[in-house]
Amino acid sequence: MRICAVLRLVPDLVEELEVEENEVIPFRYMPNERDEHAVEEALILKEKTGAEVEVLGIADPDNEADIDEGLGMAAAKGADKLYKVILDRPSYKRAELAKALAEFLSDKNYDLILTGIQAIDSFAGNLGGMLAKNLGIPYIGGVVEVNISDGEVVVKKELGGGLLAEYRLSTPAVVSIVSAERPLKFVPFTKLRQAMKKAEIEEVELELPEFEGIEVVRYEVPPEPEITLIEGDVEEVADKLIEALKEISVL
Amino acid sequence: MDVEEMLETYFERIGEIPNSDRFIQCIQCGTCGGSCPYGMGTLFTPRRMILAVRAGIVDEVLSSGAQWLCTSCFTCSLRCPSQIPITDAIIPALRELSLLEGNPPEELAAALMNIARYGNSFRESPRKRDKWIKEVDFEVPLISKKKKAEYLFVTECFGAYHRRCKEITKAFAKVMHILGVDFAILGNEERCIGDLVRLCGEFGLFEDLVEKNIRVFEKYEFDKIVTHDAHAYNALLREYPKFGFEKEVVHHTQFLYNELEKLKELFGKLDYTVTYHDSCYVGRRNGIYEEPREVLKAIPGVKFVEMRRIKENALCCGGGGGGVWLDSFIKEHIKERPAESRVKEAASVGAEVLVTACTLDVPMFEDALKVTGLEGQLEVKDISEIVLEAIES
Repeated sequence: MRICAVLRLVPDLVEELEVEENEVIPFRYMPNERDEHAVEEALILKEKTGAEVEVLGIADPDNEADIDEGLGMAAAKGADKLYKVILDRPSYKRAELAKALAEFLSDKNYDLILTGIQAIDSFAGNLGGMLAKNLGIPYIGGVVEVNISDGEVVVKKELGGGLLAEYRLSTPAVVSIVSAERPLKFVPFTKLRQAMKKAEIEEVELELPEFEGIEVVRYEVPPEPEITLIEGDVEEVADKLIEALKEISVL
Repeated sequence: MDVEEMLETYFERIGEIPNSDRFIQCIQCGTCGGSCPYGMGTLFTPRRMILAVRAGIVDEVLSSGAQWLCTSCFTCSLRCPSQIPITDAIIPALRELSLLEGNPPEELAAALMNIARYGNSFRESPRKRDKWIKEVDFEVPLISKKKKAEYLFVTECFGAYHRRCKEITKAFAKVMHILGVDFAILGNEERCIGDLVRLCGEFGLFEDLVEKNIRVFEKYEFDKIVTHDAHAYNALLREYPKFGFEKEVVHHTQFLYNELEKLKELFGKLDYTVTYHDSCYVGRRNGIYEEPREVLKAIPGVKFVEMRRIKENALCCGGGGGGVWLDSFIKEHIKERPAESRVKEAASVGAEVLVTACTLDVPMFEDALKVTGLEGQLEVKDISEIVLEAIES
């Protein structure tokens, strides 16, 4: 079995973002956590079945160095092959990425393509679905466990409200992961650095198509929430709190 | 890794740590386990860890999780009749195996990854490390601007980012400011000093931090380092020289003691009964017992009382050796955390204020006050906070 896991970069929100009207400029990038779980699940499948795992790091000319650590981490955990896909521009629509990625993946003969369910800069979580549509193969999202049973892929999917369901998939298929079935494996610093030094990463330049129809009007930072600290002794605080609640018509 | 590889990695690592050849001198007396704050809560006390390694069942130690039930309090190492470096070698090397296996407790793994990525365990921006200096009403000089200072004040991660510990940093900086001391900070150029990283067995990350920190230290001219962080003090004093960095390092308790004559002239009266907690890496590990006591006793109006477990027998707060990142893990194994036992002890001797000298202690003990219901009866203060209070009273 051959598995491909997609690893995207997202802005590191520990650092402040610079938000301009038509541009959001992150200070630095980090691997998308959900995608790290997709990579982890792929590697768990490797442990279970001996599958071959290839990791596809997605970057652009502005942040291509930032993907190396994520790819090194995958290599340290046992990934067999690493790709660094460098997109031709830093700003794009998910549909454009899905189309370009699908073209790249179409002749790679993977049995499973794993992505994270969403990213902090892609709440709609539509990359997996659009990728599957472009490839003409089945898609399932919200997955928390992947197994191979009697030669078939069986996944556990979260239905919400604490319910889980099991689905059988035909392959090839795209699976979007919520979280891997175990916490992300820890990689000590030295092991990571060694893996990064040794890793052979195949670089691929990818041209994105341009789709019309949706345009950015402007980006804006939501207004800071107003916080009032009520101070004083218990009686005073209670009085002031009642007054404040009355003011906003809660009481 | 199979057991053979584990043992090979283990012995290779402890071979690099001074005096670990004494491993073979373990007489299985059990002093370590009897001294350990978690001795009752673990399957593998240090004695049994050594026995397990000798018997080639190191994997059983790892799967029990016992290697994470160590606060690096140094009591076992101090009492060991064979002087085996349990805290510095035996346990961190076991922890390293856990890290290599990829499955340390999650909270701790996150802290280590944050330190590797951001230089602090709090997942805070390294560009905000000096934010506290904007919260004080006096100027805290940056060494990048000042270029030269007598003291370089190392705030360390807790002192720079933790909401409560920042107050200690501000208090100590203010005391230095009032005394007219020539000091400066690294500001955003400072990063984790790494003692807890070392004690957690993340030796590769520790070495990386040391090398980066030394490169920054070497950019500037200063005579001594002063810090209120007991673990930073320990690492700078004992570990950094191994990497070629040798500068005088002063703990803030020593600094305050050295300035005591000047401080006495500034002290007003306080009206407290205080007791002093000997933090492991101030007291037991580094022998600073009398200096903080002398400072406290010199404050007019302060009534000083001792707890029962003091000096080399003091009970640990539970935060060292990564314990501060292992709270939920530890709670699964023991009923009462060491910090809870310690605040009860402080209250039982009639103390109104529990004075400490390590930034980890304050949040550990303040949490314990909430758990034990002693909030309101007992307060926790760093020695610099009480000194500042005496000056300002």
